[in-house]
Amino acid sequence: MGGDPKLSYNKPIPNQGNHTKPFWEGAKNGQLMLPRCVDCNRVHWYPRHICPNCHSTNLEWIEGSGEGSIHTYAVQHMAFGPWAEEVPFVTAYIDLKEGDRMLTVLRGVDATKPEDIQVGAAVKVEFEQANDDTFIPYWRVVEE
Amino acid sequence: MPGQLFKAAAIAGAAEANEIGFLENPVTALELHIQAIKNVCDQTGIPIAKIEGVFSTGWSTELCEHLGITPKYIDTTAVGGCSFEMHVHHALAAIHSGIIDVALISHGENGHSRRKIGGGGSGNYGAGAGALSPAAEMSMAYGLGGAPSNYSHAMVRHMHRYGTTSEDYAHIAKVTRDWATLNPRAAMYSKEKHPFGGPITVQGVQESRMISWPLTILHCCMVTDHGGAVLVVSPKVAAGLNNKPVWIAGAGESMSHGNMLEMGDFTATSARHSAQTAYTMAGMGPSDMEMAMIYDSFTITVAITAEMLGLTPPGEGHTLWKDGHAAPGGKFPVNTNGGGLSFNHSGMYGMPLLVEAYRQLSQTAEDGVHGDKGKQTDARTCVVNGTGGSLSTTGTLVLMADD
Repeated sequence: MGGDPKLSYNKPIPNQGNHTKPFWEGAKNGQLMLPRCVDCNRVHWYPRHICPNCHSTNLEWIEGSGEGSIHTYAVQHMAFGPWAEEVPFVTAYIDLKEGDRMLTVLRGVDATKPEDIQVGAAVKVEFEQANDDTFIPYWRVVEE
Repeated sequence: MPGQLFKAAAIAGAAEANEIGFLENPVTALELHIQAIKNVCDQTGIPIAKIEGVFSTGWSTELCEHLGITPKYIDTTAVGGCSFEMHVHHALAAIHSGIIDVALISHGENGHSRRKIGGGGSGNYGAGAGALSPAAEMSMAYGLGGAPSNYSHAMVRHMHRYGTTSEDYAHIAKVTRDWATLNPRAAMYSKEKHPFGGPITVQGVQESRMISWPLTILHCCMVTDHGGAVLVVSPKVAAGLNNKPVWIAGAGESMSHGNMLEMGDFTATSARHSAQTAYTMAGMGPSDMEMAMIYDSFTITVAITAEMLGLTPPGEGHTLWKDGHAAPGGKFPVNTNGGGLSFNHSGMYGMPLLVEAYRQLSQTAEDGVHGDKGKQTDARTCVVNGTGGSLSTTGTLVLMADD
């Protein structure tokens, strides 16, 4: 998993790809960088080598708002590796304000009361430092 | 005299990735694929969106997802370096039969770069594994593990959209177990066969161990050992068999995504399209079907699929079970072997669907070995649907009994 002994982060840390570097660089500064097609102007997620909407390779990175809403969620009672120590925890797919969707572990919710979590609830991104190069985005439900 | 497939298809164009050789800057296999695909489509003027069939050595799902296309013919034959010649052969047959007009055969392999960065395909989880597929890179941090942890998200979205409850789906587990109790070969046939075997109740399903809310363990299929095989033959061969043949009236396949991250509508699968193709080929529709064999990796899987196959209106898939129609003695039997939920599920459950559909339509389901009394139905038609991945890929068949 790799990890800075100074940091307590013990979850799996993704290896960064060449074409995703701008995302991880932005994350270090608390920015949610998103890939957008210059030709059709649509944001997509996850980052592609080619626009999945119009098949242009003319892609750019923009800074996203970091705002979104819950598309759907589930509560994990069985997990593996370091996540096994965290059960139950809530995973969710987040509809980004800019379009398309991200996976996350949801924060600011009670995993023992799944019925209280609302599809459509507003969420905001935050980043947690995992190692020197990696800040991992997590989404938190916005207090009403 | 040339054969029937003589000049039945042509190679329209051929191209390579932008840079090949001993590349200084490492590339992933996926990048090589995508560059070559872009280049061949630019060369021929055939837009990527027009690709109808995708042939590769195991990469087809990932390529389609990355390109955002939904083909109706998917081949991943991987038998070594000659695979690509075989892909051409398979594409020739698919084009000749009228299923597709445009086939993509794609290769990307970073034999040099992978010494530095790994393969760059799907599934390379964990530290030191090198480059990940971008979908894995953006998903692996979040603690999902195994199919239940994903499929539960689809159930929650279905509940939100249609007002269904997890108890609605629990009826599926209960009724499917009822079928298993008629099948001595089912893993959950009886308490004697397995401590957790024998009849179950809806309440029992709901109160079983929580795996990924709202999925309890009895909403999930088992993981067992299973082997099966079928032979598909020409009508000429079928005419000389010792046993009754079952006829393939229609077939279709499709996909919507590979990773659940890319599932546009969590309450729908590509079975809507694969079933439409199969029904059209058969000249029949859902109302002509007399039973169904539907992949039930989870209760939610089979409920959504019933909707996609047109067996119920959207949002009402579970009613087939809740109202008793799918049960033993019901008017529309489903998963008469006991399903992946209670018969057997080894990881890929598509083969048991075929075996049971054959047994039902050839009237051999209640032969004293494979089924107790009440297992044999009188169905003459059966829609069979397999679902793969994370509600990702679907194959649909319409099967008919012999006259």
